[in-house]
Amino acid sequence: MHAAKDSVGVAVSDITEGEQVSGVYMGTTKEMRIRSKDEVQLGHKIALRRIPRGEKVIEYGEVIGEATKPIEQGEHVHVHNLKSLRWRRK
Amino acid sequence: MSTFKGFERENGRVGARNHTLIIPLDDLSNTAAVGVEKLVQGTRAIPHPYGRLQFGPDLDLFFKTLAGFGRNPNVANAVVIGKEPNWTQKVADDIAKTGKHVEAVSIEGIGDLKAIEQASRYAKNMVVDASEKVRKEFDVSALTISTKCGESDTTSGLASNPTIGVVYDMLEDEGATLLIGETSELTGAEEHIADKMATPKLRAKFMKMFQDYTKEVTSHGADLLGSQPTQVNIRGGLSTIEEKALGNIQKAGNCKIVDVLDYAEEPRKPGLNYMNTSSAAAECVTLFAAAGAVVHLFTTGQGNIIGNPIVPVVKLSANPKTVQTMSEHIDLDVSGLLRFEYDLKEAGRRLHALTLQTASGRLTSNEALGHFEFAPTKLYISA
Repeated sequence: MHAAKDSVGVAVSDITEGEQVSGVYMGTTKEMRIRSKDEVQLGHKIALRRIPRGEKVIEYGEVIGEATKPIEQGEHVHVHNLKSLRWRRK
Repeated sequence: MSTFKGFERENGRVGARNHTLIIPLDDLSNTAAVGVEKLVQGTRAIPHPYGRLQFGPDLDLFFKTLAGFGRNPNVANAVVIGKEPNWTQKVADDIAKTGKHVEAVSIEGIGDLKAIEQASRYAKNMVVDASEKVRKEFDVSALTISTKCGESDTTSGLASNPTIGVVYDMLEDEGATLLIGETSELTGAEEHIADKMATPKLRAKFMKMFQDYTKEVTSHGADLLGSQPTQVNIRGGLSTIEEKALGNIQKAGNCKIVDVLDYAEEPRKPGLNYMNTSSAAAECVTLFAAAGAVVHLFTTGQGNIIGNPIVPVVKLSANPKTVQTMSEHIDLDVSGLLRFEYDLKEAGRRLHALTLQTASGRLTSNEALGHFEFAPTKLYISA
């Protein structure tokens, strides 16, 4: 994980569905454990907590977009449930 | 202070390479330029599709790019070959301002074969002259270094880009001149770059540059979704432009930005300079090379294979799959960061050492494999 308030973490190895996984916050030894709900490939994101539809998704301690559907803790977070808030046609 | 061994040029600038460059002024002169490259060992031609009926700022940038390649300290001497003499001479004259040996050859009235002979006779003497130059020891402050990420994924933002950040902080302390760019790829993180500006004036200049770029993109009735992030980025786990941008800016480390430059503009101040560039890899590295960068540091997640004709491109990746499956393109594997085998400081130390080795003559993967992409940026249609 990049920052304490992040709602997503990045898989640094392939994660299988239902796996108990632990993550480390960058630059610290602080750990967090969750159970995955999906298969999450290396480099892909996993939800660290429940994210309601329309809520901003946080990584690097910053907004990276918003949830287009409700996301449960441990779910794969990607273009199917996360959308950019930029580059929109006005 | 660390040092490297480079080639001192007539104007006091220091190069990491010692090329004799054959520059076609226009698309029609590519055949002659490549002809010279085939005849004279140790020369390098940079064919491209432009140089006819361009006008205004687009033509100015085109001239600046060609002349910038000739002016780059990695080039010992150069021959410019063009269809007609005037524009050919114009680019040669700009290169000559550095004090290095440059010749102009025009195909008009003599044809390709005579032009190739004329240019080859110049080039033959030039490679011999260049071979007499000897590397000497210089302080790191004599280096101009650029960086860009390509085919990024989340491992870029987690590990390889922060490694560049560590190295940029080290090089800033050592007085080197540093370049970053990729204007569209700051979207979502542009305020972070704006906050790095040394003065409010630079901040305003940067924000205008960023907004103009965004306006240009949206003026075509399209948005960048589908192009930014790219399909490859998405495969690698990046979901939005904001996420990509936040990963991208890790390369800037903690450096303050001392100047904001236009496309291919040569930096005047040591420290980190922001240059307006496209985020397309070959275009971006070409602009940095035209501005005088002598080594480029390139991070990749999914395995961008880009190189440059005159600037060695040091490629690093933290993606454990990419460093295995595309190992011939990777100069430094920092995937150990994701396995907690070493920390960012150690990865930075390794990259800093490799950067100086490269500046001193160690070949990069792109050089060994012949990846010499030359991609001038075109601002708009030709007449």
